[in-house]
Amino acid sequence: MKLAGNDILIQSLIEEGVEYIFGYPGGASLHIYDAIFNQKEMQHILVRHEQGATHAADGYARATGKPGVVMLTSGPGATNAITGIATAFMDSIPMIVISGQVQSHLIGTDAFQETDMIGVSRPIVKHSFTVDHQSNIAKIIKEAFYIATSGRQGPVVIDVPKDLTNPVDLFEYKYPSEVNIRSYNPPIEPEDSQIDRAIEAMINSKQPVIYAGGGTISSNASKELFELNSYINAPITNTLMGLGVYPASNKNFLGMLGMHGTYQANMAMHNADLIIAIGARFDDRITNTPEKFAPNAQIIHFDVDHSSVSKIIEADIAVFGQVKNSLQAINSKLKLRSSEINDSNLDAWRKQIEQWKEMHGLDHDLYKNNSDDGPILPQAVVQHIYHASNGDAFVTSDVGQHQMFAAQYYHFDEPRKWINSGGLGTMGFGLPAAMGVKLAYPDEEVICITGEGSIQMCIQELSTCTQYKLPIKIFNINNLALGMVKQWQDMNYDGRHSSISYEDSLPDFSKLVESYGHVGIKITKNSQLKAGIEEAMSIKDKLVFVDIYVDPNEHVYPMLVAPDGSLKDMWLGKGEKT
Amino acid sequence: MIEERQLTLIMENKPGALVRVVGLFHQRGYNIESLHVEPINNFKPYKFIEDELNTKFSEGEISRLEIKTTVDDPLMRQILRQINKLIDVIAVSGNEGTYLKGVLRDENLL
Repeated sequence: MKLAGNDILIQSLIEEGVEYIFGYPGGASLHIYDAIFNQKEMQHILVRHEQGATHAADGYARATGKPGVVMLTSGPGATNAITGIATAFMDSIPMIVISGQVQSHLIGTDAFQETDMIGVSRPIVKHSFTVDHQSNIAKIIKEAFYIATSGRQGPVVIDVPKDLTNPVDLFEYKYPSEVNIRSYNPPIEPEDSQIDRAIEAMINSKQPVIYAGGGTISSNASKELFELNSYINAPITNTLMGLGVYPASNKNFLGMLGMHGTYQANMAMHNADLIIAIGARFDDRITNTPEKFAPNAQIIHFDVDHSSVSKIIEADIAVFGQVKNSLQAINSKLKLRSSEINDSNLDAWRKQIEQWKEMHGLDHDLYKNNSDDGPILPQAVVQHIYHASNGDAFVTSDVGQHQMFAAQYYHFDEPRKWINSGGLGTMGFGLPAAMGVKLAYPDEEVICITGEGSIQMCIQELSTCTQYKLPIKIFNINNLALGMVKQWQDMNYDGRHSSISYEDSLPDFSKLVESYGHVGIKITKNSQLKAGIEEAMSIKDKLVFVDIYVDPNEHVYPMLVAPDGSLKDMWLGKGEKT
Repeated sequence: MIEERQLTLIMENKPGALVRVVGLFHQRGYNIESLHVEPINNFKPYKFIEDELNTKFSEGEISRLEIKTTVDDPLMRQILRQINKLIDVIAVSGNEGTYLKGVLRDENLL
């Protein structure tokens, strides 16, 4: 079959099973958009800003495990997408970003809307391609999807000069059935010897903790993780990126760890004799001061990425391979050796952790106080949302205090339900990400927990939600300030609140969303909270924006003491330290 | 121990491949003392790579890159592993050993 470059590109995407393209057309991508117009298999979602396109594709990818696809034009179209590509890169999310480029003969001449997209995006992509000839387009697409979705996943950029998508010149097209890149071969199966060493360490440990992160979700290994812990029955904590990979309602679950992790999770990590790190990368928000991290622990590290192991914390036992395969390998051996595991070995350790939890664990019953007209606690808002959604909604968030409250108080029992920008911490992520999730799962409840700061960074996408009829629930935890910055200013800058207030400039969010055809609900009193959230949840066919005025003075606790602190050094409340 | 070390790469001679390596050094905060790159025409010393990858190199396809940098052991290991992640890099060697096809060999083979 002979096709033009633009049709080869679009047919290749169809071959890859793409359902949605998130994008924004422009001069350099006009030929490509003509090919999009002429097909029925994929739906193009026209966003209002390219950052929204990348976050929507990202949300789609996180919820489904399939790569998100973004279509951009050259110049500003491409540069507007950079924040979203960096967000996906930091969290290892599979994404294909196709950017139009000026015509080949104009490259390097400072042509209209010319930007060196390959150069600009280089540090924040797993790999990138420049299309050099129409006959290579299909191969490049095939390789791009393979690279984006294998090994440690990530975004791949494909830059396409406009002349190579012209509809006139025809070339032989056959989508490759196989892909083989001789210089790329991510590890899949672990080494047996390392598996055996890991099992020895697990059997002999008296104070183990499993520390599982986003890599376990990427590898679709939550079942394998659950099976592993059915043998060793160890306390387990999840990173911000890992929430949901192990059921939060399970008795072994300690909550999130790290900067705003629970007291018991951080104490268990600090005092452990064995840390079983699975698809997690010892980020600085987890370790606090690396030299003081878990002084008595042996470290087992499961990861697909060599460069993540012993980067921050030296691993004693390193298991390279796809996390899913590594856990399957360890499970099949552990099963045969289960008689060697003496569950009562961990009794004292479990008792100690239970005591920590009783001393300073989070209060999950704040929502029960509905009576008074005092200030609304943001923590209680999340608890109400959790109960009103039966705990099984997809929840996206933005970045800041509301994100941490959502992570602490919404209990995720399944992977891929908690969708947030963990690594890059991108404000503006939540709403467009929720769009991508809702398109993937139109019959599921999709909630965006945001703040009045973050929501305004991609608020233009409210219009996209109208166009494609996306009935998302947005809960705006409104504290009239950039809360997390304010918290740091309170704690470290003697309360000098530099540039965290909008003064009187905030819009009336209810009126704003109503102008887009959505439903706005405003809650200012504690006594209205439960009914207001339940009302929002009962509206099924429209986007509902719930603007909730919360206590502006609340801080997120626990909070690690930094700099120079360890994981046992935490602020537990205002002026209250461990 | 912090000292000057050399690492050697064999990589695909593709547009933008060199700048990915150089960019990585800047991005991760590593320093380059010196850098030498040239295309490989004599494939004899690299037959073990061809065998390993089940491929045949042809003229103009691959380059050899030598970089000198002054670092300690753990950082050198991290640099090797980061470079090994670049899609166009076929093999990279340093004091820790050689990464070939994503697998670490104990000796410096390049």
